Amino acid sequence: MKRFLLLVLVCVLPVALSAESKARDQGTIVRMRMADCIGSPHPLMDALSGTNRAPTGELCPEYVLVADTVVYVIIGRNADQLVPLAETTRFHFRNNELLIRVDDARRESRFRVKAMVLRQEWDRSQQIQEAAAVSAAHHLDEASVVQAHQ
Amino acid sequence: MTIRSKVAEVRINFSAVDQHNNVAAVRPDDFAIVDRDLVVRNFRSFSRSDYARLEIAVLVDVSTSVATEFRQELAGVDQLVNRTTGVPDEGFSVVSFQDAKPTAVCEDNCRSMNAETRFPVAPRGGVTPLYDSIAFASNLLARRGDVHTRKILILFSDGADTISLKSLSDATQSALAQEIAIYSVDLSPQPHSSPGTLVLRGLAANTGGRYFPVEAGLARLLQAVVEDFHATYTVTYKLPNHAAGFHPVRILPTHDLSLQFHCRCGYYYPTNPEE
Repeated sequence: MKRFLLLVLVCVLPVALSAESKARDQGTIVRMRMADCIGSPHPLMDALSGTNRAPTGELCPEYVLVADTVVYVIIGRNADQLVPLAETTRFHFRNNELLIRVDDARRESRFRVKAMVLRQEWDRSQQIQEAAAVSAAHHLDEASVVQAHQ
Repeated sequence: MTIRSKVAEVRINFSAVDQHNNVAAVRPDDFAIVDRDLVVRNFRSFSRSDYARLEIAVLVDVSTSVATEFRQELAGVDQLVNRTTGVPDEGFSVVSFQDAKPTAVCEDNCRSMNAETRFPVAPRGGVTPLYDSIAFASNLLARRGDVHTRKILILFSDGADTISLKSLSDATQSALAQEIAIYSVDLSPQPHSSPGTLVLRGLAANTGGRYFPVEAGLARLLQAVVEDFHATYTVTYKLPNHAAGFHPVRILPTHDLSLQFHCRCGYYYPTNPEE
């Protein structure tokens, strides 16, 4: 019985892993800025393997990627890690990282997920921000009209 | 009656080059604009810029810091003044800087100028008012041309400033305010390790111009000036954010990452848009 279960596991695991890596989601990048690069999530392992890098004050591209149900804030590993700002960005996850394939590049671009929020919540906060901005602009407008009349 | 004019549209002029630094033709779906972090893909208009005239100011460093490249610099100025062709009409002004302040060597019509006779035989003056000179030349260019005039400042310098009252930021802002693109020619003997090189690169990148080390040759610079004149695009879009202050702008590709876009690095949205 144990052998049978092991055999099933051996057969199913690669298929499951493959399915995980090939499953792709899509979203739209709506914001982009240069932000402080974040350190490695495994500093101890990196130090032991000799691949750790001291913080250099470098700026890395940070994107807000809006998908169907979740909004991700992702950040690149170095300053040059730019992705095309197409209407649709296809991505998937591997080892807690978000991977975006750039059409012309051979490799996928790996991003760390800085924050995640449910799309509904994000939409709500955007609406509040927009309403506040419109209100501020209207207030400014009224003030300038008063100023013009004086 | 109160007349109100809301500034709700942003207008950006830009050019694009491919991986070989050659001018590239683009379509509206080839790029997106990042305006104060927000990605803009829907544009109100997109067209070739309707520039009819080119107005050029050449800014020449004649301080002792560029002594080793001085002859090359003067030869370059001569080339620029006498050989720029391919644009319908252009005005040429030349400004030099040394000691405490910049001086207009000639304004608007410098075609007949002989650089050899208008500049000292050897550089003189140990101080370099680079930033003040950029602001001075920007003001000079601002008085010339109209909305159909592309204004560019060709800067021969090693990027070092030793005495200006204005800062690098002030100099950049003065060029941005007048929509002047700075094409910088780096006279540093060792451009790769010079802090001045970063200044020159920054001035070019932030104003929508280009950077050239002096070894690249003036022919390349002239070609770039003419190409950019003929292949500049104008895009307009709805102001995405009414926050007052500086709006940094970047143009980034939507699919071909080898495309590089040259444009001014942003604009100021006033506290009171009616001002």
